[in-house]
Amino acid sequence: MNEVERQAGGAGRTESPEARSGRRVGRTVLLLVLVGLAVLLAVSLGSVNVSPAATLQALWHGLLGQSLSGDEVIVWQLRFPRVALGLLVGASLALCGGAYQGVFRNPLADPYLMGVASGAGLGATLAVVAGWNTALIPLAAMVGGLLSVSLSLTLARVGRRLPPVRLILSGVVVGSIFTAVSTYLLLLTEDRVRQVFSFTLGNLAFGGWAQVRAVLPYALLGGGLLLMLARALNLLQLGDLTARSLGLPVERLRLLVIVAASLLTAAAVSYAGIIGFVGLVTPHLVRRLWGPDHRVLLPVSALAGGGLLVLSDLLARTLTRPTELPVGVVTTLLGGPFFLYLLRSSRDE
Amino acid sequence: MHRLLSLVSFAALSSAAATTYPLTLQDDLGHTVTLRQEPRRIVSVLPSTTETLCAIGACDRLVGVDTFSDFPAQVTRLPKVGGLYTPDIEAMVALKPDLVVVSKYGKLQESLTAAGIPVVAVNPETYDEVFTKTLVLGRIVNREAQAKALVVQMRRDIARVEILTRNAAHQPSTYYEVDPTPYTAGPNSFIGVLLAKAGALNIIPASLGDFPKISPELVVQRNPQLILGPTLAAAKARPGWSSITAVKTGRVIAVPPGSTLDTLLNRPGPRLPLALARLAKLVHPELFR
Repeated sequence: MNEVERQAGGAGRTESPEARSGRRVGRTVLLLVLVGLAVLLAVSLGSVNVSPAATLQALWHGLLGQSLSGDEVIVWQLRFPRVALGLLVGASLALCGGAYQGVFRNPLADPYLMGVASGAGLGATLAVVAGWNTALIPLAAMVGGLLSVSLSLTLARVGRRLPPVRLILSGVVVGSIFTAVSTYLLLLTEDRVRQVFSFTLGNLAFGGWAQVRAVLPYALLGGGLLLMLARALNLLQLGDLTARSLGLPVERLRLLVIVAASLLTAAAVSYAGIIGFVGLVTPHLVRRLWGPDHRVLLPVSALAGGGLLVLSDLLARTLTRPTELPVGVVTTLLGGPFFLYLLRSSRDE
Repeated sequence: MHRLLSLVSFAALSSAAATTYPLTLQDDLGHTVTLRQEPRRIVSVLPSTTETLCAIGACDRLVGVDTFSDFPAQVTRLPKVGGLYTPDIEAMVALKPDLVVVSKYGKLQESLTAAGIPVVAVNPETYDEVFTKTLVLGRIVNREAQAKALVVQMRRDIARVEILTRNAAHQPSTYYEVDPTPYTAGPNSFIGVLLAKAGALNIIPASLGDFPKISPELVVQRNPQLILGPTLAAAKARPGWSSITAVKTGRVIAVPPGSTLDTLLNRPGPRLPLALARLAKLVHPELFR
């Protein structure tokens, strides 16, 4: 058992398994309610004041595909898809973070571990600096992200094996190289620094239905694959050797998780920018409250990550409305202290 | 009106005297700088400063410029000494300048001063500063009369445009996009003042600051009649933006990064009246046929 499992298991010392599972169900229901509330709030609040009645009417008209007027356009075509994209991206990042932390057995793993963010950042920077059509930025980011992951994978491979330490190291170093190139490109064209910077801090401002439709297939495919691998990830926590002796194809599992998570993350990052912290911290929060079983951890992380990002984006666009804060700053300012509180309040070492 | 302007310019010219050195002044970094003699080998690391120096007859004194200085054409032949964040300090020192004019940003001042080269920060940012800093530069390079004449000329050219736009029957509500983050320009920014003088009503209130990152919801709600910045296709592709009047009527005018108009609007220098004239023609095509 690793450190994280022992800590999580510690909470159950004095309770029966039934009481524990009951508490988990209770917490899940509470989380569902909270995320639902966050979505409701996020749809009804924004830089423009729209009354709850008008919001409901806009949602109704939008769902029926009727023509929209005035503020209804804002609710249905700007705010609602932005919330949906936030849910989708937050869920993707948290899910990938949980899967990576499991597959690398490393609590510092996040969705950007294999260099996907730096690759996507380089792709986006190239597109911005070269002055390409803004519609091409997500595509460039996606290609860059997948390219840097493939590079890390190729460099880490020893024969047919993918040793975790080599994977992490090559991921980090490939990421650093890509970041250095982006930074240099950026300095060549100082006037576009802000545009690229907003990508690296995350930006959901132009998240519309088109973006939701673009991310959804990756989220379903990659997310579904990761969820199916949850049981195998549980076995992997026993160590490579034990897992292998139990018949688990460890190398294939690792590759599969990286490919699925990279697709998922690259799609999310392409349309929302590099939103930090959600992918790192959400699985930790969930592990503390729900335990280390990946069959629970992964779906609950996805739900919580979506909620955290929706809430962060709500704050990002309302705290200083009608101006906006970078959402990545808010996720960290919101998630960070909460995580530290949980860390301090835990009785374990 | 004209006679008044000529009178003002005559008064301005007659009050200009030769600069006496050593000249002591406080620069835009807050440093007290003393120039022992009239600078004759000048390096400018700000494109607007380069333009101003040339416009007041000190172009032949420039021995080096930053990579972004591209106007007037003759400065493109000068040695390049890097950009704001990538300055080539060795190249600057090698040019043996007796003055380097820097901006408020970057960290050039310390290392150049340590190398014994006089440094002065002159950094126009607002509309009004374009005129005051022109006069400061005039004093620094002993071209005070030319600087005053330039200011008078610029104000006259601006008045010619304003007289038309101020009386325009209709001022279109306008959204100006600095970049698709989206950052926009408030009414007190350099671009914001030019927009107002060009006869456009900025949809962004001054309380949001000079360059706020705004919510796209705000643009949809304010429903501008004119959009400057993105292309029409890009604006159409944004969620909900096809309901904006400017997009419906096709009054979306792209200002591609690096285009002449973009450069003019982002360079608080002597071509300000030209920037205004171009802008006014876009906002009020009916007035400038």
